[in-house]
Amino acid sequence: MILNRRSLMTTALTLGAMKAFPGLSFAQARPLVFATFTGSWEEAHKAVLVPAFRKANADAAIVLDPMLSVDQIAKVNAAKANPPIDVMLHDPGPALVAIGQDLVEPYPVEKSAYYKDLIAEAQEPMGPAPFFQVVGLTYNPEAVKTPPTSWADLWKPEFKGRVGITNLNSTLGTGWLVEIAKMRGGSEANVDPGFKALEELKPNLAAVAANPGALATLFQQGQIDISPGNFNAIQILKARGVPVEFVAPKEGAIAFKTTIHIVKNSPNRELAFKLIEAALTPEVQTTLMNPPYLIVPTNSKVTMGGEIARVLAKDTAELKKKFVFQDWKKINEQRSAWIERFNREIKI
Amino acid sequence: MGTAPASRDVTSYGMGLAAPLALFFLLFFVAPLLQLFWLSLHNDTAGLHWGLGQYLHFLTDPFSLSVLGSTLLLGAEVTAVCLVLGFPIAWLYQRVGPKLQTVIILIVLLPLLTSVVVRTFAWIVILGRQGIINATLQSLGIIDTPLKLLYTQFGVVIALAQVQMPLMTLPLITALGRIDPNLDDASCSLGAGSWRTFFRVVLPLSLPGVIAGCTLTYAAAITAFITQSLVGGGQMLFMPMYLYQQASTLQNWPFASAISIIFLLAVLAVVSVFTTLGRLSRGYGGA
Repeated sequence: MILNRRSLMTTALTLGAMKAFPGLSFAQARPLVFATFTGSWEEAHKAVLVPAFRKANADAAIVLDPMLSVDQIAKVNAAKANPPIDVMLHDPGPALVAIGQDLVEPYPVEKSAYYKDLIAEAQEPMGPAPFFQVVGLTYNPEAVKTPPTSWADLWKPEFKGRVGITNLNSTLGTGWLVEIAKMRGGSEANVDPGFKALEELKPNLAAVAANPGALATLFQQGQIDISPGNFNAIQILKARGVPVEFVAPKEGAIAFKTTIHIVKNSPNRELAFKLIEAALTPEVQTTLMNPPYLIVPTNSKVTMGGEIARVLAKDTAELKKKFVFQDWKKINEQRSAWIERFNREIKI
Repeated sequence: MGTAPASRDVTSYGMGLAAPLALFFLLFFVAPLLQLFWLSLHNDTAGLHWGLGQYLHFLTDPFSLSVLGSTLLLGAEVTAVCLVLGFPIAWLYQRVGPKLQTVIILIVLLPLLTSVVVRTFAWIVILGRQGIINATLQSLGIIDTPLKLLYTQFGVVIALAQVQMPLMTLPLITALGRIDPNLDDASCSLGAGSWRTFFRVVLPLSLPGVIAGCTLTYAAAITAFITQSLVGGGQMLFMPMYLYQQASTLQNWPFASAISIIFLLAVLAVVSVFTTLGRLSRGYGGA
């Protein structure tokens, strides 16, 4: 074989083009693309959900493309007619944005074998919720001897300079503010009492973290002793030996639905449906509920066990009693105004 | 090399070689920038109504202006710290043996060899309540309760200064290396003291390096999203975070575009001040 400059250039250009425009290499039949979240979500889905899906569907090809909700929306929006993603995963806020921008298809409820087994809050016709994320109080048991029981405990004078929160960029931060507002007589439509409460919290605030991940690491540094926190993020820290505990406040732990959607115009509609079905099965949800994943299940046929049964709820009935669901449609209406207000008012 | 036919114009060949890079820039830098600008000229998030509303909103809003101001100030502080700490290192480098030079260059380059995220987390460990600084001060009995270092302006400046230090030190080392050491001796033999020699000879001649270093450090410090948000926390708002918040959390792309255009212009203005100073200094250094 003779290598001359011309043939080398051609090869290089072809390779470059294939790299730059991956669409060229699989013109028609591309595998199912599932945009999960990064980090522990990706790990859990790769280890449990994907094998279960492939087993039930004759080893169908599937690709995980982990990214944030907002990036999923941007990517699908850029190519609505031929979306690069088939299945999206969303927090409640972005889910409503995706539905509002007409990016997702209604879930074929009548075809689904598991949809009716989901607890009522998880039955979303535009895309069911296979998992819950739960926000409660997290604290360092070495510094806080009597476990907190209520959101109001954050205002106790003994926690002067020991409380951490996040700003409203995250679902956690916004959801928590709404809960605080509710505690003081406000609602999803009126968070004024929440902002007043934040003002009173200032002497106690040690940190306003940029995101929930950064907040969790502050326990590691001893920068904070108590904060609102995500159940799963805390379990990961705990597994690494950081002294943290999670407790559901008596007002109720905030539950966010993580919903899963079929993207409109997906060329893999049928497989997308199958993947979501797999995510709803009691088997997958049970495996994901056990260590190390500890993801809260939504299928009522799953028997709660382990850490989730201990700190959150023993069964679906108790779960419904202890969880608070928020109206994100209302929250989204004013969220940008709240973020702006938070930017201006919260300086410590 | 060197045997090119005399008839061929050597400069034209250079342009041809630059074409791929130029094309790359045109496609992936200029085009998106124009798109950004186009988007910023819309009054609504869907991008249907033309207007200057986003710019008006930013420029008439004291809060937004204060974010811009504090970002530019942060850059100035970081640049000043880098210059004051970096100059002696560069100066030392020119006056030690080759072995020590290797050590110094390694120390200077070391931060570039680790990821920004890792370096920033290291600063969280150092500045934290139970971090190295507080633990040392407490064990020495200098303070009773831990100082608040993390999530303060001071913390951000120190962390950024360390992270961006190579960008200051490397141009300084080059600039100082170009100064003829005989000039030092000449100045001394003519009766000038060390300080006088430094301020009248070394510093003016190193000004091109100082300005190059300041420009690089400044531009890198004000756009350092990771360090700013991790060490500064969620309540200290600088332009990159403001931009991210509007674009990503609020999906308000036109306003985010306007913010980035304004930020870009502000940075260009500062950089052009540096360049003007550089041009003036060249005259000064040559005089």
